[in-house]
Amino acid sequence: MSCHTKEPEIHIEEGQIKVLLMGNPNVGKSVVFSKLTGMDVIASNYTGTTVTFTKGNIQHQGNHGVLIDVPGTYSLEATSPAEEVAVNMLDNEKADVIICVLDATNLERNLNFALQLQKYQIPIIFALNLTDVAEQQGISVDIDKLSVELGAPVVPTVAIRNIGLRDILKQAWIMAEKKTVDYGDIPENQDERWQRVGRIIQQVQQVEHRHPTLLEKLGDALIRPLTGIPASIIILALALGIVVGGGKGIRGLILLPLLNNFYVPFITNIVSTFLSEGLIFNVLVGEYGMLIKGIEWPFALILPYVFLFYIVLSFLEDSGYLPRLAVLVDSMLQRIGIQGGNIVPMIMGYGCAVPAILGTRASTSQKERIIVASVVSLAVPCAAQTGAFIALLGDRSVLVLVLVYLISLLAMFIGGMVLNKMIPGKSDPILLEIPNLLMPDRQSYLKKIYLRTKHFMLEAEVPMLLGVGFAALVAETGALNAVGGFIEPIIEGWLGLPREATIGLILGVIRRELAVLPLLELDLSTLQLLVASVVALFYLPCLSVLGVLIKEFRIKIALAIGISTFFLAFFIGGLINQVVTLVSMLL
Amino acid sequence: MSIYQFKGKNSCIIEKMPQVPLLSSLGLREGMKVRVMSKQPLGGPIVVSMGNRSIAIAKDVANQILVKEVL
Repeated sequence: MSCHTKEPEIHIEEGQIKVLLMGNPNVGKSVVFSKLTGMDVIASNYTGTTVTFTKGNIQHQGNHGVLIDVPGTYSLEATSPAEEVAVNMLDNEKADVIICVLDATNLERNLNFALQLQKYQIPIIFALNLTDVAEQQGISVDIDKLSVELGAPVVPTVAIRNIGLRDILKQAWIMAEKKTVDYGDIPENQDERWQRVGRIIQQVQQVEHRHPTLLEKLGDALIRPLTGIPASIIILALALGIVVGGGKGIRGLILLPLLNNFYVPFITNIVSTFLSEGLIFNVLVGEYGMLIKGIEWPFALILPYVFLFYIVLSFLEDSGYLPRLAVLVDSMLQRIGIQGGNIVPMIMGYGCAVPAILGTRASTSQKERIIVASVVSLAVPCAAQTGAFIALLGDRSVLVLVLVYLISLLAMFIGGMVLNKMIPGKSDPILLEIPNLLMPDRQSYLKKIYLRTKHFMLEAEVPMLLGVGFAALVAETGALNAVGGFIEPIIEGWLGLPREATIGLILGVIRRELAVLPLLELDLSTLQLLVASVVALFYLPCLSVLGVLIKEFRIKIALAIGISTFFLAFFIGGLINQVVTLVSMLL
Repeated sequence: MSIYQFKGKNSCIIEKMPQVPLLSSLGLREGMKVRVMSKQPLGGPIVVSMGNRSIAIAKDVANQILVKEVL
């Protein structure tokens, strides 16, 4: 954290060039990065205050170089962690060239950033991106004039469709040859700089007044309370319907029949030709058989929900709806000490808490980060756990399923209010740019869903297999009876659950859905289902989440979150059991 | 009058802005012509449009932005 020039952190090989990719947030920078490097990045959705950067290799006509994706910032005044990263990179990395991405629909604000960048006197190529959207909006930019005004090459691009990207690379090597550039005097003073931006805009940009399109009208309607609030309820209900209803359909109609009619007999047959019935046979294809449950749980019970959740989330993200939702829920979220923008990581938490917690980097205050991370760790079930809840409760008691989600919402609200009182400091007021409402680009939308689902399943499969194997061993060897006496008062006495439910609680440390899935094999009463589900809901966040909590907030806060969720799980679960039992005795 | 209290569909010109770095980085500055698009109930933010862009501004901040109506 010093202003002095330090040694560059990123090393390049002889003959390579080092290129920084910079720009305002949400200008399509990450699309440019993934297209130029061929790398799959979706992490770009969670930049903001990230201190890590992504780098990738680029090449053009046999020349090689390194492209560094710098977090998107609105200015270079080092007032936020993301800006600090950007300024440090400019000072220390000794870059050969900068590719600065400009949003053609928002040229004024982007040029203000461009001028600040030119102060560093590093050769720059400007990629004027989103020119297709600008055209639809009646905005035309004179590329040649803009290039003269900036004294640097300007390449029009539509990054999402690969238009103009080859030119960018060509220009990168031409500009890298130059070594030194002179962009003249750039005004230090903000007002003077904006005046210069204004003059450039007058020279290069023409805006034809158009009647608002249907999407623009819809975008406006979604943000007015009278139309926006009912619309948000419909949109969220629809999202829920797609994930829950669709997931149940795929599971029940396609995956389970496939599994039970073809896979299970097939694999059992194969194993029985090699092994006779016994411990190993049972561990492989018995009650908790690794080859049975290790396939059924992740692929038939979890995958449909994860897949559908990411279809919905990616659509909400790419369309630009989420910032509108943030505006609508701001006053509600203020009650729990966070501003509306935090709805985005909270919704992500319904997929997986890991990106949700990383996504809190975009919230400006530490207080908000801790509140969001705690609430998500405590009470937001991830997509996998949702799949498990539906598998457990969907057929047996829909009432309990609804109740579990109501309890989850209530816990989020109460938990948030308590944390708001406990943690000192104030949260920052909402200041949020509302992007245009867009129809997501089909290709990148599908790719995003594919990448996220793949990533989730890869993360899930190995721990799930190990967990199932462990459960099988415990069940088959009767090891549970050994610890039975120790846990009996809590599990059987306080929670009113059978001893076998302990398997779920042990496995739940690894993954959230594993706290639920073993319950499928038990014959539980409605009350037991509710209690077990509530315990599983609040129980420890999974190992990966604990890892991220430690990384983001240090061990003390991570432990505090982990321990309180653990005790709350047993406390609330047991309370429900005791109260319901008492009431039913009195009635 | 603050932009939070400003009513009506007419445009207004920003006369005075609080020192919030993000506000000016987002492109909002004195002398600019803006329109109030919506106001959320219960202390929620307002949405201000300028040209073809919109920004949501918290009530507390909006209360400190002074504007004059353009007739």
